[in-house]
Amino acid sequence: MKRTHIGELEELVLLTVGSLYEQAYAVVILEVIKDQTGRKLDVTAIHSVLRRLEGKGFIASSMGGATQERGGRRKKFFVLSQAGRQVLDEIMEVRSALYNKMPKLTFAGFSI
Amino acid sequence: MTNHPPRWADRFLEWYCNPDLLEDLQGDLYEMYEHKVDEGKPRLARWYFIWCVLRSLRPAVINQNSKLKNSTFMMTRNNFKIAFRVLWRDKFNSILNLAGLAIGITCFFLMGFYVKQELSFDQFHSKKDKIYRVWLKEVYGEDQIFFNSSTPIIFEKVLEENFGEIETVMQYNKRSYLVGEGDDRYNENVGIISPEFFKVFDFELVRGNTTNPLQSRNNIVLSESYARKYFGDKDPIGRSLAIQIGEEVREFNVSAVFADIRKESSIQVDMAISNENNIDIYGERALTAWFNVNQETYVLVKENAGIKTVEAGIPTVVMSYLKGRVDEGVYNIGFQPLTDIHLNPEIPVGMEPIGNPRYVSILAIISILVLVTAGVNYATLSIGQSLKRSKEVGVRKVMGALKSSLINQYLSESVIITFFAVIIGIFLTHLTLPIFNELTGADVNLAFESWHLLLYAGLVMLIGIASGIYPALVLSRLRVISILKGNSQSNSKHNIQKAMVVFQFVITVFLISTTLIMRKQLDFIQTKDIGVNYTATVSVPLYQSASANSLSTAISTAMEKGEVLKEKLKQYGDIDDIGMGTHVFGTDGWANLAYTDNTETFRRFNLLAVDPYYLNTFGITVIEGRVFDSESGLDKRQSIIVNQAAVDYFGIVDPIGKQLPGNDFGDHAIIGVTHNFNYSSLHSEVEPLIITQNITPIFQGISDNGFGDSPIPKLVFRYSGAQLSKVKDILESEWENIFPEEELNFSFVEENMKFQYESENRMNRLVTVSTLLSIIIAGLGLLGLTVLVINSRIKEIGIRKVIGASGFSIFRLLAGSFAPQLIIGIALSIPITYWLMNDWLNDFAYRIDLSIDMFVLGGLISITIALLAISFHTIKATMINPVESIKTE
Repeated sequence: MKRTHIGELEELVLLTVGSLYEQAYAVVILEVIKDQTGRKLDVTAIHSVLRRLEGKGFIASSMGGATQERGGRRKKFFVLSQAGRQVLDEIMEVRSALYNKMPKLTFAGFSI
Repeated sequence: MTNHPPRWADRFLEWYCNPDLLEDLQGDLYEMYEHKVDEGKPRLARWYFIWCVLRSLRPAVINQNSKLKNSTFMMTRNNFKIAFRVLWRDKFNSILNLAGLAIGITCFFLMGFYVKQELSFDQFHSKKDKIYRVWLKEVYGEDQIFFNSSTPIIFEKVLEENFGEIETVMQYNKRSYLVGEGDDRYNENVGIISPEFFKVFDFELVRGNTTNPLQSRNNIVLSESYARKYFGDKDPIGRSLAIQIGEEVREFNVSAVFADIRKESSIQVDMAISNENNIDIYGERALTAWFNVNQETYVLVKENAGIKTVEAGIPTVVMSYLKGRVDEGVYNIGFQPLTDIHLNPEIPVGMEPIGNPRYVSILAIISILVLVTAGVNYATLSIGQSLKRSKEVGVRKVMGALKSSLINQYLSESVIITFFAVIIGIFLTHLTLPIFNELTGADVNLAFESWHLLLYAGLVMLIGIASGIYPALVLSRLRVISILKGNSQSNSKHNIQKAMVVFQFVITVFLISTTLIMRKQLDFIQTKDIGVNYTATVSVPLYQSASANSLSTAISTAMEKGEVLKEKLKQYGDIDDIGMGTHVFGTDGWANLAYTDNTETFRRFNLLAVDPYYLNTFGITVIEGRVFDSESGLDKRQSIIVNQAAVDYFGIVDPIGKQLPGNDFGDHAIIGVTHNFNYSSLHSEVEPLIITQNITPIFQGISDNGFGDSPIPKLVFRYSGAQLSKVKDILESEWENIFPEEELNFSFVEENMKFQYESENRMNRLVTVSTLLSIIIAGLGLLGLTVLVINSRIKEIGIRKVIGASGFSIFRLLAGSFAPQLIIGIALSIPITYWLMNDWLNDFAYRIDLSIDMFVLGGLISITIALLAISFHTIKATMINPVESIKTE
């Protein structure tokens, strides 16, 4: 499979979409990221990341039912696709493999 | 929704957004908005909404929008793309177009910024509309008018006390004093200002006491550069600076430093003390005098008051003070807006030189003309190209192109060209500005200001559209049928094209002959024999003794000092003809005296006080009588020499031994009459002049005096050495020994003479620059036009050659097609040039006559340039093998 590069923010959004399972839409994603990492993002930034991820085929979208609160506008919900799940797994694998190779106590100029 | 986000932003979002994305995006933004409103931050919510709408404006969101896809946006992009291709395809023409426009724009910028600088004088003061300078006009009779922009000291008090409309009255004067101590003494112009000076004008105080800098009469304020001059990098605040006022050397305490005054200011001062010192400077009597002018007075009118009411009240107030001393209508006070000072020649010039409004408008017109020439040039060339592109137009029309879209297409091209031309123009302007400044002495300073961007953008649109609209109309109007049938276009269109070429020639020939005429006049006045010999003559200003309290002692003490210097200089073999006199050639404004003679006629004349050798230095001889005898005591006391103009003016018959027609003069007798040599610039005729060794008898008889030039004597001598630079060494070493306290200044009379015509010379150089540039533009235009003409007649040329025409006859044929336009252009330019130049020449008392030869020369030069431009391609065309040109179809 062609490996697609995925950026740090993309990865974060992808993970959030995965974790929210069927309840993920831009505003919620924004709030979760804010709560979890303390990062203050712009909602338009989330939108463009979502568009990119959808374009790469890592997430799929569907329109939800009409609501009262958002001026009657429907929400666009995102779910993780097969490819998205796979990309996340690969990333986690690489990271944990590297992490495990690291001696228990490591810091600059010192190792046991 | 109860609380709606900004509707315009919402609508904007709906307009640009891809409909597929709109619902979700808008919903999210609404949700964020409501969320923030619920948190009790409605303001933040609004800003955030607007911010997000603008942030979402990106290609991914816009791209799919069908509304935008077919709109002008996309067409413009397409137009620009095609325009680039067209311009790239015909590089030669594009470069000609570009170069012509860029040069025109550069010229426009250079001249324009100069004009702008002249127009922007004193515009930087925030209260400029409320500040007026006071003038005084005393009218005693037809010829007896004293009009001054300097005023008595008492005006400050009088205006302040009598006019509620005036918020502040402020006075300003400059006097020359020796400043500093020991070896660091310099002669400086010290400002004497009212303490409110810095409150009225927007001169920025940067250090020290910035609220009330001239609190005490012992305070002094310095400009930043003068603070550096006297104190280097040390903090000047609180330090003291010595100024010699009269005999007394006083210590002044530096209280504040102000930013250097910009060039565009009619008030130029580098150091200033308070006018509380007036009593020490002018004496007690001057403080209440009404007929002693020396101050520039400025008034700041209150916010809601007008100057009209003040003007209306002036006569009553004046009469309340001067009742019995003057008649009504004699003593007139008027007000001139601050921003009017620099370019109004009607009001006498004050402390700083003013500009000539006529020159400013001439330059403004020329700069616009050159720009228009460049635009016309572009239009002519693009119409010429229409032949090449008629097929393109035909195909486009057949495919259903609308006229408007064709016009847009061609306008895009001209806007692109102009855009690059403006960029090159800006670049060239900055590149050539130092040369321009040096060449013209204009001293334009081009600091970038944000409004320049607007100007540049405006120029791109204006020139782009103005020069592109005609070609665009012509091209879009072409008929499909005739194009596709292969007919070349009807001839009627060429008339406008020809008119444009004529127009360009008119301007070019006008500029060429103007330059030539100006040059000739300036040569004329600068080489005219003024009747004195001033070659290699040096003038050294002397200093009066500090204790001198009258003009005659000032003159005599300075001459005594001059004698010491003279003795020293005599030992140098290269220095001859040493003399001394109160005024020297090359400076205007020799002492002007006036009195009422025994027939009750008001008389004015100029006075020159000299030593017995001065006339010899300048080779001035008498036509009657004799010159001063250095041995004669009588000559020293009472002999006078007059010029022929004075003899005529006073109507003295057989003048030798006679006196001037006045009752109060002391003992004096005319011993000689000189010819009429010019002692002021050739703008004016020779006025009556009286030359004397002793001013006292003359001063006894006069009622008024005025000095445009300082009457403190100068020492003059002729230097015959080969190296003029050695004069400086000699003077410096001798001066240092004799007058260690004073500053040495000296100048060559020849240079001063030239400097009298500085503004005319500068004008001439500016016009010359424009002329050269417009010649280049016109040349480029012709070059391009010839190529087009040749291209359209290439077959004709081929056939002619086959039949046996010579290269020369073909050249004559092609060049001849431009001849009528050239001749009409020259003919039309003559009256314009004649009218404008005659007006300019009337400024001079001594002027050349406009003769036909200058126009002939101007015409010849333009014909030569035109022929050169034409022949470049024509010669090439005559050499083409006819087979090449005929066989193609």
